[in-house]
Amino acid sequence: MLKRKLMKAVAAGALLLATSLSAHAEDVLAKAKAAGVLKVGTETAFAPFDFIDAGEHKGLNVDFFEALGKDLGVKIEWVELPWDSVLPSLEAGKFDVVAGPATITKARIARYRMSAPVAEASVAILKKAGDSSITKPEDIAGKAVGVGKATAQLAQLQEYSATLSEKVNVREYVSFNDAYADLAAGRVVAVANSLPNIAFVAKQRNGMFEVVTPAFGKKTYFGFIGTKDDDHKALLDYIDNEIIAMKKDGRLGKLQEKWFGTTFDTPDSVPDPAF
Amino acid sequence: MTLKLFTLLLEAALKTLGISLVSIAIGFVIAMLLSAAIQSGKSIYLLPARLFISFFRGVPLLVQLLLIYTLLPVIGINVPGIVAAIVGLSLCTAAYQAENLRGGFASVPRGLVEAADVAGFNGIQTFLRIRAPIALRLTFPALVNEAIMILKASSLVSVVGIIEITKMAQDLASSTYMPIPIFASAALIYFVINSAIALLGGYAEKSLKGASA
Repeated sequence: MLKRKLMKAVAAGALLLATSLSAHAEDVLAKAKAAGVLKVGTETAFAPFDFIDAGEHKGLNVDFFEALGKDLGVKIEWVELPWDSVLPSLEAGKFDVVAGPATITKARIARYRMSAPVAEASVAILKKAGDSSITKPEDIAGKAVGVGKATAQLAQLQEYSATLSEKVNVREYVSFNDAYADLAAGRVVAVANSLPNIAFVAKQRNGMFEVVTPAFGKKTYFGFIGTKDDDHKALLDYIDNEIIAMKKDGRLGKLQEKWFGTTFDTPDSVPDPAF
Repeated sequence: MTLKLFTLLLEAALKTLGISLVSIAIGFVIAMLLSAAIQSGKSIYLLPARLFISFFRGVPLLVQLLLIYTLLPVIGINVPGIVAAIVGLSLCTAAYQAENLRGGFASVPRGLVEAADVAGFNGIQTFLRIRAPIALRLTFPALVNEAIMILKASSLVSVVGIIEITKMAQDLASSTYMPIPIFASAALIYFVINSAIALLGGYAEKSLKGASA
């Protein structure tokens, strides 16, 4: 008797699983269109791409996806998470695509479908204004440098550190905002992050920070992140086309000018990242 | 620190308060069911209840939240952040509340239970009318304490995308570069809410005492 009940329960569970899986096997772009909502996951501590300005969600991502949503005829629903849980949640199907953006790297294109580049991502150093002990990137040898956890910038910094006379004392932070705060407080002497980000921070906190050029490491680009499965292919193709179209008609350039104060010459795709 | 920023913190505080209170209530119901299972003394109920308590007491709440949020979709249950937050907090507090209640159940005088037995109460009646009310009365201060703990622990639910007080304060501090007034305000809001819970708890405790006389 109990055995039969158990069998029934198992069968019901399997059926439930099967139906929910088959419901899952549906084109995400078509589903978003039908629902009128595209879910985008992101981290809101990555100015000027994504940040909270006095309670308001702003940045290049917000402008870009707003435009994409208009062209596609859907509303954008943002899901804001700490960066280290963004990619696991993408894989768990919590949202359709990740804004981020993330540096296009070899490791990432092995696992994810990266979009066409939206900006350059080469890494440089941010220091306190007037700090004369750091005038070029190699001056960070042996010093405490902050960087975001689980980021491509961290990997670049570690690789660069190994080439220096003395290893960099790498400090990992949950978000880059915490790293900037510690730079202001003097707990680290520099923060390594992509040029667009630190240029924005230096501009916003006028007189507090300075960017040390040139960038170190290899030339890299930022892209949005999706999964590689067939369900998401149409959506990510659409996003790629949208980025390239916006680049051609000058809308992307305007967004870059608005948020970075400069424009980048980005390729249409990065099939073989340098890093 | 402008009024607008403070209003944003207060809005986030409503989320914290709502999620916490709902979780404490759901957790209390589950804790009572767990207690009933344990008090029944039958191993078919007892063992799952013990397993539940040791799991949800033994795994950090942060890990539980991430598991509920990212593991459940693998088996086809895709819950939104708010549901993951409430489920995580409820299951966790249920385990702790059940442990608190266990102390109360252990202190129920044997004579009362025997008297109920003689008076013809069945097991469920004895549980609902004799054991549970006495255990609840005895462990009420611990319950209030647990409510305060959960309200503070709810700052963790930002990992599943809920913007509650702590996350809002972090966002505001990093965009306005005024961490001190913002975190001080967040601390003040937590303090006021928890003082109110303690006050209400004290009042309820007194009226419960009156009822027992």
